[in-house]
Amino acid sequence: MEAYLIAILIVTAIYVLLSLGLTLQYGLTGLINFGHVGFFCIGAYAAAILSTAGSMPIAVGLVAGMLLAGLAAIPIGLVALRLRDDYFAIVTLGFSETVRLVITSEGWLTKGVQGIPGIPKLIDGVGTGPALMILALVGFANILAVIAFLRIVKSPFGRMIEAIRDNEDAVKALGKDPARFKIQVLVLGAVLAGLSGGFYAHYIGYVSPDQFLPIVTFYVWMAIIMGGVGRISGALVGTLLLMGFLEGSRFLRDLLPFISAVEMASIRIGAVGLALILFTIYRPQGLMGDYTRRK
Amino acid sequence: MAFWIELLISGLVAGLVIGLSALSITLVFGIARFPNAATGDTMTVGAYGALLGHRATNSLLVGGLTGAIAGAIVGFLGYWFIFRKLAQRSNVALLVASIGLAFVLRAILGVSFGHSQQVFQLPLVRPWRIGDVPVHPNDLVLAGACATILAIVFAILHLTPIGRRMRAVADDPALARVSGISPSSVMTVLWLLAGAVSASAGIVAGIKTVVSPEMGWDLLLPAFAAAIVGGIGSPVGAVVAGLLIGVVQEMATPFVGFTYKIALSFLLMLVVLLVRPRGLFGKLEGAR
Amino acid sequence: MTIDRRTILQAGASALALGLAPQGAFAQAEAYRIGALNPVTGAGSPYGSGMAEMIFAAVDEVNAAGGAAGRRLQVFADDTQTNPQSAVLAAKKLIEVNKVNAILGTWSSGVSLAVIPLVNDANILLMHTSGAPALSTPPANAKGYGYRFQATNDRFGRAFAEIAVKEGYKRPATMAFNNASGIGNTQGFKKAWEAKGNKVLAEVVYEPNQPSYRAELQKVLAARPDVIVMGSFLPDTTIILREAFQSGANVKWIIPGWAANPQLIRALGNEATEGVISVDSVANEQSASFARYDAAYRKGQSQPGASNVYAAMTYDMVITLALAIEAAGPGAGTAQINAKIREVANPAGDKVFSFAEGKTALAAGKKINYEGASSVLDFDEFGDVTPDFGVFFITKGQLERRYVVKI
Repeated sequence: MEAYLIAILIVTAIYVLLSLGLTLQYGLTGLINFGHVGFFCIGAYAAAILSTAGSMPIAVGLVAGMLLAGLAAIPIGLVALRLRDDYFAIVTLGFSETVRLVITSEGWLTKGVQGIPGIPKLIDGVGTGPALMILALVGFANILAVIAFLRIVKSPFGRMIEAIRDNEDAVKALGKDPARFKIQVLVLGAVLAGLSGGFYAHYIGYVSPDQFLPIVTFYVWMAIIMGGVGRISGALVGTLLLMGFLEGSRFLRDLLPFISAVEMASIRIGAVGLALILFTIYRPQGLMGDYTRRK
Repeated sequence: MAFWIELLISGLVAGLVIGLSALSITLVFGIARFPNAATGDTMTVGAYGALLGHRATNSLLVGGLTGAIAGAIVGFLGYWFIFRKLAQRSNVALLVASIGLAFVLRAILGVSFGHSQQVFQLPLVRPWRIGDVPVHPNDLVLAGACATILAIVFAILHLTPIGRRMRAVADDPALARVSGISPSSVMTVLWLLAGAVSASAGIVAGIKTVVSPEMGWDLLLPAFAAAIVGGIGSPVGAVVAGLLIGVVQEMATPFVGFTYKIALSFLLMLVVLLVRPRGLFGKLEGAR
Repeated sequence: MTIDRRTILQAGASALALGLAPQGAFAQAEAYRIGALNPVTGAGSPYGSGMAEMIFAAVDEVNAAGGAAGRRLQVFADDTQTNPQSAVLAAKKLIEVNKVNAILGTWSSGVSLAVIPLVNDANILLMHTSGAPALSTPPANAKGYGYRFQATNDRFGRAFAEIAVKEGYKRPATMAFNNASGIGNTQGFKKAWEAKGNKVLAEVVYEPNQPSYRAELQKVLAARPDVIVMGSFLPDTTIILREAFQSGANVKWIIPGWAANPQLIRALGNEATEGVISVDSVANEQSASFARYDAAYRKGQSQPGASNVYAAMTYDMVITLALAIEAAGPGAGTAQINAKIREVANPAGDKVFSFAEGKTALAAGKKINYEGASSVLDFDEFGDVTPDFGVFFITKGQLERRYVVKI
């Protein structure tokens, strides 16, 4: 049992990095990034390719994944940030699908739809010990991300991006260029997603394009909306809730055997939808409350 | 030459489906002012509705009407129970809620109809040949149906009093309110219309392909792209842009292949947004 | 196919009954725990619940015959959602929480590739129905604990080539769904076909969920092929064949059996499917084991057993595994049981068609060769089955088996 719990916690910790990235982008800066899974995918594939075909140490792949995801965010930022925010949502969604198409098509590099098996583990070995060490490693990355996050919020940069979210025109009037700050935030969030992708690849051990569908992005959105937009505690609690909810349905079926697995799959997606609707209408501040003043 | 004409026709046919779904998106986007991600799943509702109607009566017309009514009801329910309550909120809230609605609709369809494919049992016909180019009679019917739907939408918007009020709200919501236009009656009609149009798109897609709970969602991204390329709030623009995207995708396949063609709708959208942010047929809009 | 609630209830009830049954004859030995990890939802959903149910049915059969080596079999079921991430967590749950000794019935290659490292670490067996060649060899099958009950995509491709030769086709083209299985089929065909000194005229790989496949078809048809070899699934095959018919193409088709099935005929009608060649690994239809499986499947799913080849495979998995446990004797671990699998399933041995029959023969000190419901079930050195292929022609809306191809 404890090894299974550790497995869930590892996956949760991997998703927390995604949630933190989105919290930075949406919660703090108001960027509606609907292409989060694209950066996650870049990080995962960079780690997978470098550690298998490239025979590089794992750390190199992780760092490369962060850098590449961050780099990919720059052109998206340059182009898309001149757009209305709902257009930005659609453009980023299109971006993540394009990333998936490139991964699918460029088989010489990515092995296309066959996927890349045999990605080495973060820490080799069998049993609870190595699993705990992996959890510690990913957890450590989480703590670093949270510390970085807090420093950003308290810095002049943090005050600036929140000002952009609350009143972009006022920021412009002060002679600052909001676009530059937005691109930096987009890159930071993408770097976190890239790191998350790298951990994911090394943990699951196999990547293929169909693991990077937009549903992953929506799961992360659900997590931060449930937890509370713009709060670190919201990202943590929301992600835990999300995983509890996704994994809990396995046990729910043991309790309610009259629900078939097929129905359970529909119910699972329906519950995600219902949570999104209800939270948006009745508790827009999320469980942990929103410390921002966004309406 | 025949090769390119055939590709062109393929593109037009694919574009009709994209254009119809974009038509619904652009109506909502122009008047309720947010990208409605539930459009895809409303399409699916329409397809299942039509399937049931068609099976019960063996008439495609009755089936189509059943589907359109089902879509209109879903559109209205979505407005009444969800979007109405979010009217004063940011468009992100509306977008997120529409994704939620999309998932709920898909879940209901999945539980009710299962996940295996269903098809419209229609007779298959061999094509006519004009020169070297095969022309499917069914495609002409579909094109006619799309033209009719577009004409109906156009007539409602331009020839009826409620249509004039809808356009007034689209142009300037604040001014419309001051002029005494009741937003809720305009919105009710809008959502009924948008639901019925999505449903028609779903029915066309369902006839051309197969009906499954995921079918509408899969068409959403090109439809969004078409709505933006055509210019938000422009029905003609949405259909023309849908056709354009279909044609560009198919005519480009000899050069880019069958995987990257999907990315072209995204690319086209990006280019249009950079060069002409209001889209091909969009009106100039002020700052939001 | 719809999953009706009653069957699930039954499955649940039989699981409960197993859990609660008085230990009786089994009081001595610990139960052998089987993880049923099937694609109940997602792309594999047309097959998954039938696969799970046949695991339960076969386990009931084994337990009714007194269990294997004095051990009762016990099943824990979970859903992969046909998605690697979900499958990994499900497998972790089965291994860690339910402490299973073997995982049976993973379906898509992506899922099996993601699960097999966990199985290697936990020193348990994996029996799957995936086609990807990578599953045969290290690193995936490093310990030889992976068994494949489905022909590899490669073998399917070779069978396609044999059929094309036999039918006298000269100008084939291929169309493949862009995933590992689809491309595996057409590339297997191409390799085998070109090895015979022939050429493939056109190849198209298409994306799923398109509103139309006409441009894809046009490219293939422009080469004027006499046959199109498909690596496809049901929905896309439905759309492509319909569009091909409506654009007036006169071309023959060779299609894997999971796509060219009665549902396809029902969707398109007799005229558009006339002459389509459907290829499937031969279910061992004349055998007594198939009859047993078929009866169980009809009882649970109210459909003929032949409609779900994968369910026949999961049924065989349990029987094969149980016979190996029986042969290995009481208290055997994974390595000893693994060593017995080929011994009980491959030739040079008395043919047996059920667990009870095999158990009796083993008790009499004989060597046995289990002949399965899904195929004669002989494993090569990679743990892959090497089935023959049935070649079906669709004639007036009926699938008609004309001959069998041996590779």
